[in-house]
Amino acid sequence: MKRFKKFLSAAAAVGMFGASAFAFTGCSDNEEVITLRVCNWEEYIDLGGWDDDEAIDLESETILGENAIYDDFTEWFNDSDFGFKVKVEYSTFGTNEDLYNRLSLGDVYDLVCPSDYMIMKLLAEDKLEEYSEEFANGEYSTNVSPYIDGIFTQYGWDKYAACYMWGTTGIVYNPEKIDDVADVSTWNILLNENYKRQVTIKDNVRDAYFAALGILKSDLLTDPQFDSNTLSDIMNATDSETIAAAEDVLKLIKDNVYSFETDAGKADMVTGKVIANYQWSGDAITILDEADKDGTELWYSVPDECANLWFDGWVMLKSGIDGNVQRKAAAEAFVNFLSRPDNAIRNMYFIGYTSAIAGETVFEYLDWNYGADDGADTIDYDVSYFFGYDDEYIISADASCFELEDGNEMIINRGRQLFAQYPPENVKSRSVVMRDFGDKLTEINQMWINVRCLDVLDISPVTVGIICGAAGLVVIAGLLYGFRYKLFIKHKPKKGYHKIDE
Amino acid sequence: MKGLRFNRKHLCIPYAVFLILFVIAPLIVIVYYAFTNGQGHFTFNNFANFFTSTKTLGTLLYSFAVAIVTTAVCLIIAYPTAYILARSKMKKKHVLLLLFILPMWINFTLRITALKEILSVIEGNISVYPFLNSVIGMTYDFLPFMILPLYTSLLKLDNSLLEAASDLGANKATVFLRVTLPLSVPGIVSGITMVLLPSMTNYVVLDMLYNNTYIMGSLIGSYFSAYDWNNGSLISLILLIIIFIVTLVTNRFSDKDTQKKGAIL
Repeated sequence: MKRFKKFLSAAAAVGMFGASAFAFTGCSDNEEVITLRVCNWEEYIDLGGWDDDEAIDLESETILGENAIYDDFTEWFNDSDFGFKVKVEYSTFGTNEDLYNRLSLGDVYDLVCPSDYMIMKLLAEDKLEEYSEEFANGEYSTNVSPYIDGIFTQYGWDKYAACYMWGTTGIVYNPEKIDDVADVSTWNILLNENYKRQVTIKDNVRDAYFAALGILKSDLLTDPQFDSNTLSDIMNATDSETIAAAEDVLKLIKDNVYSFETDAGKADMVTGKVIANYQWSGDAITILDEADKDGTELWYSVPDECANLWFDGWVMLKSGIDGNVQRKAAAEAFVNFLSRPDNAIRNMYFIGYTSAIAGETVFEYLDWNYGADDGADTIDYDVSYFFGYDDEYIISADASCFELEDGNEMIINRGRQLFAQYPPENVKSRSVVMRDFGDKLTEINQMWINVRCLDVLDISPVTVGIICGAAGLVVIAGLLYGFRYKLFIKHKPKKGYHKIDE
Repeated sequence: MKGLRFNRKHLCIPYAVFLILFVIAPLIVIVYYAFTNGQGHFTFNNFANFFTSTKTLGTLLYSFAVAIVTTAVCLIIAYPTAYILARSKMKKKHVLLLLFILPMWINFTLRITALKEILSVIEGNISVYPFLNSVIGMTYDFLPFMILPLYTSLLKLDNSLLEAASDLGANKATVFLRVTLPLSVPGIVSGITMVLLPSMTNYVVLDMLYNNTYIMGSLIGSYFSAYDWNNGSLISLILLIIIFIVTLVTNRFSDKDTQKKGAIL
């Protein structure tokens, strides 16, 4: 009987397995399902879960993020008439280098979102899939800012990359804790002895190198006669002489700053541990917002020398798409879905960065977000360069969020959230895209290691003396212990039991 | 059919597969990268570079300094603690032990973040004492790993040995120095191995407490972020060799029982 029972349960198990297998095939029978593998920066997309009171109540529509955008995309795509279904496999990466290493190791993604220089590198290595011709009529091409589109075309990325977010680098600072506002308008703040160990810098070689160049070339860049056409070449210099000079500057910076940070700087700035902080514009907005909640007013400045203009863009990978037309269509649909104004606003609201998407709805959101309350002093903040010169895009923003000089003329490089999110035209004109280091990478990385590592030759003689002394003491103690019977205790105990002499 | 019969030895198969996949295969990959250059040609250059660069040697020294000081501080704190926990006749000592183990259940980045706040309050500006902070952080992180082996080795100490020593006229200090201490050496040794080696590479603690100087772990990271897998692998290999030597040395001091059972090497 027992044996029979066993047989029964085995049969039941087989039956269940068969049934489930049948159910599975039954489901995917009518339409093919394409898995779209998307890899994006951490915390770089709206993950949903907003409270009702967080809804963005625009005149044209109300925007609320209930679910993660990629889930909304799946739902929208599968309800639309594409002829196949899609399933999004969403994963994240921490740094561009991390992403590149993963790709080299054979991880396969269809759509990834690296920064400008990584797009250049991938493009140079012929790893990117070109966007199709239909893409030029999609949501992205219709809605993208003419300013961003111009830059992407200028660099030759436009056929391979769709800009997602963009911004500048600058300095977040606490105006109450600095002596002179001129101090924070220059990269030299990183070397300023008055703020010793009170300023943070980014812990990656590219951002640190950029700031070092800003300090090195400060006199040249701030000269009124400076020819801005040479800006890009100056800030992208990678000759050995410049690298050596940057190394010396960075060594001084290392001894003067509070920390090299990747993420912790945000919290340190909000909690007041530091008074200024080298930051990307998007994170700067998050910091300013957080500090506002605590009642601290922080500001963002773009150094007089220049700023790093950066972009993150969606690119399709040849290794992932692999000539599959449907997969490519799904990837393009994903980019276009993100480029819908309502979704661009959701992402902007959620992560604090600036979307590359322009258009009336986005402008309406800007006005909703930054437009001055009734009765406040206002300033006309012109963002036409971003939204297009076909119309006037001017926000009447709260004047107290900018520093003014003689009436309504704006001091060019300091402001609050709106300033950080959409830099004014004068900041734009001294911003520069930082190119990939290319074959100079090894040399620059060695420079970075030289900065960060302890050099044996730099150890002070006192330290060497202390270490040698301590080691010597240990050795002497060991020797004394080893020869203790010969030196002090003359009678060595014998092993085992032995007769006691009478 | 005889060949297919289930044998007790077959239980080893999953273990062997695991070992090959996650221990031996990665090791081979590391060795391969350590002795090749970017083009995949065999070379000793990475090796030579490591031992001729004053920066990498400095980093090795610095890692050693952090690790040795951390281990010493851990030992000094952990021995009395473990002794009290194991030998005293306190009623609630299990609760006390739990208090020391409890932090291990909390994610260590969370603990270090909390420590950072505490140190900021005490020191004002924590970036002024990077070495001290690193040692404090590491000690905080690794203390339970020192206490536990000491506690177990002191717990199984035979009371009759101590009584015999006292009966034969040894005072308390002599009993401790001649009986308790020698018998707890295996605990000390395994505690040292468990603290010294991880603290040489745990750069997350240094990063979080704002030590701007690289240790071995961060150096590996910086090579990998410049896509230089060869030098990164070489440093991992050197660390592996150091670990091998340390284990070899410490095994000589460890428990006879565990040696018979074939401890680590």
